[in-house]
Amino acid sequence: MWTLAVPRVATGPGTPKKASDLNPPVATSSSAPDLSPAAPHGGGKPPRAKGGSIGLALTLPGQLVSILVLVIPLLVALYMSFTDWSPTRGSLFDAEFVGFENYSELLVWDTRFLYAVLRTLCISAVCLALEFAFGLSLAVLFMRRFRGKALLFSAFLTPMMILPVVVGYIFWMLFQSSGPVNQILEFALGPDMALEWFRSAPLAVTAVIITEVWHWTPLFFLILLSGLNSVPVNPVRAAVILGANPRQVFWRVVMPTLKPVIIVAFVIRAMEIIKLFDEVFMLTRGGPGSATETISLYIYKLAFNDFQLAYGAAAAFLVLLGALGLIHLLLMPVRNQLLEVKR
Amino acid sequence: MPAKKLSLFQAVLLAMALAVVLFPVFWILMTAIKPPTDWNASPAIWVPSEPTLINFKTLFDPNALMEYGVGGVSQSATRAVFGSILASVTATALSVLIGLFAAIGISRYGTESKSTPLIILSGRMFPPAAIAVPFVIIFSNIGLTDSYVGLIAIYVAATLPFSTWMLKSFVDDLPREIEEAAMIDGKSRMRAHLTVTIPLIRGGLFATTMFIFILNWSEFMFALVLSYTNVNTIPVQLAKYVTATAGTLYGVQAALAVLAMVPLVVVGYLIQGHLARGMTFGAIKQ
Amino acid sequence: MSIPKLELVSLVKEYNDGAVVAVDGIDLRVAPGETIALLGPSGCGKSTTLNMIVGLEEPTSGDIHIDGLSIVNIPPGRRNVGLVFQDYAVFPSMTVRQNLAFGLVVRKKDKDHIARAVDEVAELLGMADRLDVRARDLGGSEMQRVAIGRTLVTKPAVLLLDEPLSNLEAAARLAMRRELRRLQSEIGLTIIYVTHDQIEALSLADRIAVMHAGKILQVEKTSVICERPDHVYVAGFLGSPPMNLLAGEITPGQGGATFSHGPLTLALPGDCVLPRGSYTLGLRPESLRLAPEAGAPLAGKVSLVEFRGGDVVVTVDIASVKLDVVLPAAERPVTGQAVGVDFDPDSLVFFGGDSSRRLDLRPMGRPL
Repeated sequence: MWTLAVPRVATGPGTPKKASDLNPPVATSSSAPDLSPAAPHGGGKPPRAKGGSIGLALTLPGQLVSILVLVIPLLVALYMSFTDWSPTRGSLFDAEFVGFENYSELLVWDTRFLYAVLRTLCISAVCLALEFAFGLSLAVLFMRRFRGKALLFSAFLTPMMILPVVVGYIFWMLFQSSGPVNQILEFALGPDMALEWFRSAPLAVTAVIITEVWHWTPLFFLILLSGLNSVPVNPVRAAVILGANPRQVFWRVVMPTLKPVIIVAFVIRAMEIIKLFDEVFMLTRGGPGSATETISLYIYKLAFNDFQLAYGAAAAFLVLLGALGLIHLLLMPVRNQLLEVKR
Repeated sequence: MPAKKLSLFQAVLLAMALAVVLFPVFWILMTAIKPPTDWNASPAIWVPSEPTLINFKTLFDPNALMEYGVGGVSQSATRAVFGSILASVTATALSVLIGLFAAIGISRYGTESKSTPLIILSGRMFPPAAIAVPFVIIFSNIGLTDSYVGLIAIYVAATLPFSTWMLKSFVDDLPREIEEAAMIDGKSRMRAHLTVTIPLIRGGLFATTMFIFILNWSEFMFALVLSYTNVNTIPVQLAKYVTATAGTLYGVQAALAVLAMVPLVVVGYLIQGHLARGMTFGAIKQ
Repeated sequence: MSIPKLELVSLVKEYNDGAVVAVDGIDLRVAPGETIALLGPSGCGKSTTLNMIVGLEEPTSGDIHIDGLSIVNIPPGRRNVGLVFQDYAVFPSMTVRQNLAFGLVVRKKDKDHIARAVDEVAELLGMADRLDVRARDLGGSEMQRVAIGRTLVTKPAVLLLDEPLSNLEAAARLAMRRELRRLQSEIGLTIIYVTHDQIEALSLADRIAVMHAGKILQVEKTSVICERPDHVYVAGFLGSPPMNLLAGEITPGQGGATFSHGPLTLALPGDCVLPRGSYTLGLRPESLRLAPEAGAPLAGKVSLVEFRGGDVVVTVDIASVKLDVVLPAAERPVTGQAVGVDFDPDSLVFFGGDSSRRLDLRPMGRPL
């Protein structure tokens, strides 16, 4: 006897596939020193009011560590930045309070500092742009079908898994005068095309950029590929059916969905790249001269070569303020979008 | 519409990209197995004709190193390897442990404020070189310079925001009802978290642990600043080998570098599925 | 019909070198201005057919014609066919206006033309006051209207919809049905839609094509198909509740042929022309009535009475068989009551033979 499924009256609840699976950083919390109690007893949001004490107990060790090991040294450094202390002058607490003198000197007189800032920003901008371009190209290539994708994927992620010091070391070897980069240049372009990578400022900067881009393009690749894979497919199909060519589909339909992802990638990378230290240390030590001296290198020199600790602390806080301001400025037009995506 | 196949042009591009990506890794592997005679060849040798593992032995043999001692490099890497393992493992364990409880606390009981992400972001933007200074001061006042306790403390504090944030994103993924069900069964809150929550996020827990380990193992600047005679980590040792010998100790340096790299590449491969989440501190899930 | 608006000719779609046959040779002609529903369960090939018409998938063999011209070699963007996805798939970051304009913008039409077309369609769909709202902020049925409008702007020859009503709540469903009917009459749109829900099919379509296992089993006018299923599968699929189906044997005999299903035996009319063999008997619940036990061809006990507002569905257990009977609410029996079931011999439907197709019981087949 025919057993047939009697079609039920449709109840399908499916909501249209909308936002991709993103958790933007701005709307989540973290373990920053949260000096207010985790939840007030009794009052507050009902589901969380219960067990307020256990919440406190759970977060207490984290808050303790943060305060002891992060906040206190930070405050000490802040205080120090307003003094003229140097280790040769005895205890910090006897040091003379000089107000904003360190800060004004940095901003007005210290060209080396200003160049370091400018240099770091420029190198960062170039690196970010290149990492994005290469990462996006790779991600787009990976949306095609081909064999051995999993293996290739792991291979392309390798650079970012390598320690920064080791990356710096490897490229230091590669860019040696007798190293493979020069060998390839000579092979391809002729015997005089070998370059003294570490003797000239622009070449040294180029070497730093190449190193950084090699190191971190995989991150953009990873994030963008993840983003591309979570682009909802039906709007893309709809666009094709409406007559859009592949380029139009990419820029008008795919990219807007990718925007939040791209922003996250840029912010994350930007935060890290302005602290560029390890690779440059191994590659050039900031040289030749101060041609590749990033902010971190300069502060390191101030603090541990010249022992101008108070001055270095002031520089660090200036950098922090500047970076905060920059991120705030860059994120402002986009903040609404990020919050919307969370919905 | 099934995905299109790779065109020839695109395949060539991909192959070129692969070559660029793998070449430096290839280079350091080759350098690590070069016999000392090949080290300073000019032009540099790509593949040694007589590969050897002797560099890895030399690393740990102070007498052998003394032979190459240009500028007094006779320090074997044993201390550094030991130091890296000690500092990284301990700091990772502590950071993940503390972060785990904090993550549960914040996810299930905490208040979310719009400014905490900003605080985290700003924490990440502070140049480590500067915060190393007050640490040195404070540590010298309490006798913690040149001690692993100090280094581990810094590593824990530096990675705590990540471990917390990353773990929080895993705990957030778990519906509250699961713990509530356990509590209805009579368990206390803490028991519920221990027996239900934690086992259920063990994948994320593993990924977070590995990720924090990567951060700690790779850390250079603080170790550099805080290491004198007792404390040494692999990155610092590598820098010492390079600076002390004007770089000519290639094979040994490369061997150390490879030793440093291998655990991370393995770990990275293991947590590949969670890399996006880790690298973006919980913002993007793969 | 003269030149059909859309014609499918022996359309076949196979995957894995023939291992999986999603669409097994279907033919269909859709007249201009007609609304046709492709009705069938998941996996019957209806969505694959839709994809082939749109161009998202290529047929393994066969042809598709629009206005008499073959379109199989034309890429999806140029076929002049509109598709509305089940999840609408509007462009979330764009406004309603930008969504509607998309099809013309990518074809590089001039601004005035686009503005006029967008306003026209917005007016038609009642979205004129929402033109500057971001698509992701719209409600469900608004999104659907934008999705429809997006295709209308490009003046497609045919509008295709994938499960148009399944994502809507009851009230919105009613509204959308009226909306689609209005579009049909106002602009003479030819509409083909795919659904697994017979109510959706019955309420919107002029004709229904029932699909199963890659084949179209029957294409028939909506008003007629429930009473005249051509295939036993269609009989069991349509109707609420669907036709009662009993597999059994016809045995000719002295006093006339009988149909037996297990212990059940029914006497058949004297002029039955069906030879001995296996058949499936179909009894429409609406054609059955309750009668006093004595003298009724079938007798059993009421096991379930399902109240539906205007009528009731009564399930009668007869031996091991359950029959559904639809009665006006006023005539509903009590559960457990012993009843007889009677029917008009003309309402018997037989399916049999290799094709499971409806067979005529009597010479020349008296129309039901």
